[in-house]
Amino acid sequence: MRKHIMIFLITLCLLVSCMAGCGLSYNSNDTSGNVSGTPNEGNTKSDKVKLKFFTGKIETIDIINEIINDFNASQNRITVEQEYQKDASNIIKIKFASADIPDIMTTYEQGFVDDGKFLDLSNCSQWWDRLLPSMKESCTDVKTGKQYRVCTNMTMAGFFYNKDIFSGLNLETANTWDEFTSNLETIKEQMPDVTPWFIFGKEAWHLGHLIEFIPHGYIKQSLGAVEAKKAMLNNDKAKLNFGAPDGAMAVFAQNMIDLKNKGYINSDVLTAVSDNCVQDFASGKAAMLSNGMWVLSSLLEANPDMENKIGFAPYPAYMPGSKPVVLSAEDSGYSISATTPYQEECIAFLDFLFLADNQKKYAEGCKAPSAFKDVTAEWAPAAIVSEVESALKNAVNIGFTNEKPAGFSGDDMGRMLQDVLVGSYTAESFASAYEKTWDEGMK
Amino acid sequence: MRQSKIGLHTFMAVPALVLFTLFFLLPLAQGIGMSFTDWDGLRTPNFVGLQNFFNFFKDTRALNDIKTTVLFALGSASLLNLVGLVYALIMDGKFRGKGLARVIIYLPAVISPLIMGYIWYFLLQPGRGFLSIAIKQLGHSEGLTNWMNTYCLQMLILVLVNVWQYTGMAMVIYLAGLQGIPKELYESAKIDGAGYGGQLRYVTLPLLLPSIRVNIVTNIIGSLAVFDVIMALTDGGPGYATESLSIYIMRMCYGAKTGYSTAVAMIMFLIILVPVVISMRLTRERK
Repeated sequence: MRKHIMIFLITLCLLVSCMAGCGLSYNSNDTSGNVSGTPNEGNTKSDKVKLKFFTGKIETIDIINEIINDFNASQNRITVEQEYQKDASNIIKIKFASADIPDIMTTYEQGFVDDGKFLDLSNCSQWWDRLLPSMKESCTDVKTGKQYRVCTNMTMAGFFYNKDIFSGLNLETANTWDEFTSNLETIKEQMPDVTPWFIFGKEAWHLGHLIEFIPHGYIKQSLGAVEAKKAMLNNDKAKLNFGAPDGAMAVFAQNMIDLKNKGYINSDVLTAVSDNCVQDFASGKAAMLSNGMWVLSSLLEANPDMENKIGFAPYPAYMPGSKPVVLSAEDSGYSISATTPYQEECIAFLDFLFLADNQKKYAEGCKAPSAFKDVTAEWAPAAIVSEVESALKNAVNIGFTNEKPAGFSGDDMGRMLQDVLVGSYTAESFASAYEKTWDEGMK
Repeated sequence: MRQSKIGLHTFMAVPALVLFTLFFLLPLAQGIGMSFTDWDGLRTPNFVGLQNFFNFFKDTRALNDIKTTVLFALGSASLLNLVGLVYALIMDGKFRGKGLARVIIYLPAVISPLIMGYIWYFLLQPGRGFLSIAIKQLGHSEGLTNWMNTYCLQMLILVLVNVWQYTGMAMVIYLAGLQGIPKELYESAKIDGAGYGGQLRYVTLPLLLPSIRVNIVTNIIGSLAVFDVIMALTDGGPGYATESLSIYIMRMCYGAKTGYSTAVAMIMFLIILVPVVISMRLTRERK
């Protein structure tokens, strides 16, 4: 009998320990644990609160932790904890599905907005009054005209080029595609050991960015930022014209095929990774690369003496009547969960995070200019800042496409360009397939 | 007394049954239910009947993924068994350094397949990998062929890397089987005039059938569910050329097609089930 009781107790212990962690945890006054999305009727101002901050930005983990520690030490009621996930844009979907929603997050998608996942921040004038108007516009949801995230920084993307190589060959940055290919040709002829334009195409997102900045950039500049967003949201085929054989997509694809055939891009375009690109550019083996400001720290780390050798230029105009474009987009966007019972506490933390001193520290740490008017940060070496300012002044500034169809990510776009480069698509069939994929995603 | 023992044994199975129900049967039932919906992971799902299953057979990308997965499994499972068996036969003999050789062969199996894939990528990367540079230094100016441009070469590399990693596991199972064969049978075979080939054919292989079955089944299941090695070496590219069905399911799941991805997972379950059942039947009949 005793044996049976022992077995019963052991079984019970095993079951209980297996189930530990499966249940939802609720707030308690002493531990302040919080599972977001769980209504907390007993919450009062005197209760301790723990906020979950979710991010996928690896480059800002340390700075954010520093600011979080300062915030936690500045008062004794709210404790913020940062959770980093490499694959944050996917992990957040699991969190939404399992109701384990963080209170504050940097992951943002149109689908989440449409589904009411985020708190409307339009009334937080203490932030909007300080933000650059263009950045406020970028944070505004086109469908509702409301703001569901606050972006504290800007990021730019364009062509980084080696100034020494350009000046050595008497080259000027290109405004048109013809000038661009002429530059590439000169580099290839004069410096056969140098890759004129290095593309790390194994990483599909990089090729996706080329589509995002070049053909999508053309659509954005020709329609205007807001109209382009509306056309994409409504899948206005007449305006987007993705599938036309002489449209932005087909011409872009043909240009890429030509560059590959002429040897103006690296021969290992489909197997090269980001590190290869950084190493080749930093060692002078590559003359140009396309990327965003986030690559700067890697370039300078690979070659600290490069500070004054890095130039920055817009993407050249490649369609008739178009102008060069440069990405000038929102970065580091913060949203608050619509279901968190701690909205005031979240706003209190963001108030602290958005203090000018903290934002200066943040901008300099992640090498991205601040979107706040009252923050002056030395986010990059002066020579590079000057290059970037010049590019922004002389080109049409475009933003990211947040209105892409569900299931058609930048990675998917890049894979289609991989197929172009491997020869599976002609320019026309690529354009047609792109339009078809876009349409299917919109259904 | 006997009654009480049966009750006790049944009772002791309860924790395992509860865990099995919670972490296998329940998710499986939920998955089956989900496969009949259009759930995107966010909004309320709608019942769509068998639409997801019909869509799968119209999806050219999915059909290409089946081709890639099946080719990989065929190549991988057969090579794993063949090489594993050869290694086991060698390791069953007597020679100095046998222990060390076994460890070396088995070692790759304990490393994460994702890390293994990245290591191989650094070795095989066209133009930049260690092998490419080594070949260049031997005087071949082109270095290693750009295997990423050819589907057949990509598949071959994927299969070889997988075989290299898991051969040790197959070898261990065969070795255990070999060591369970009574030595008297070999002696009898020798007396009957059987050479090495005869012993292998009439003694070793028939008595190894249980090990062969275990190896075939586990290798087919593992190879059809391949994920890590492809992610690390080709990322399923270029385009979706080398994407496996597991990778497709993951991408669909995160690509706002959660309901559809569970339907594909059900189809994959059937795809895996068929060869496993066939191979089990074949080996049972031989027995």
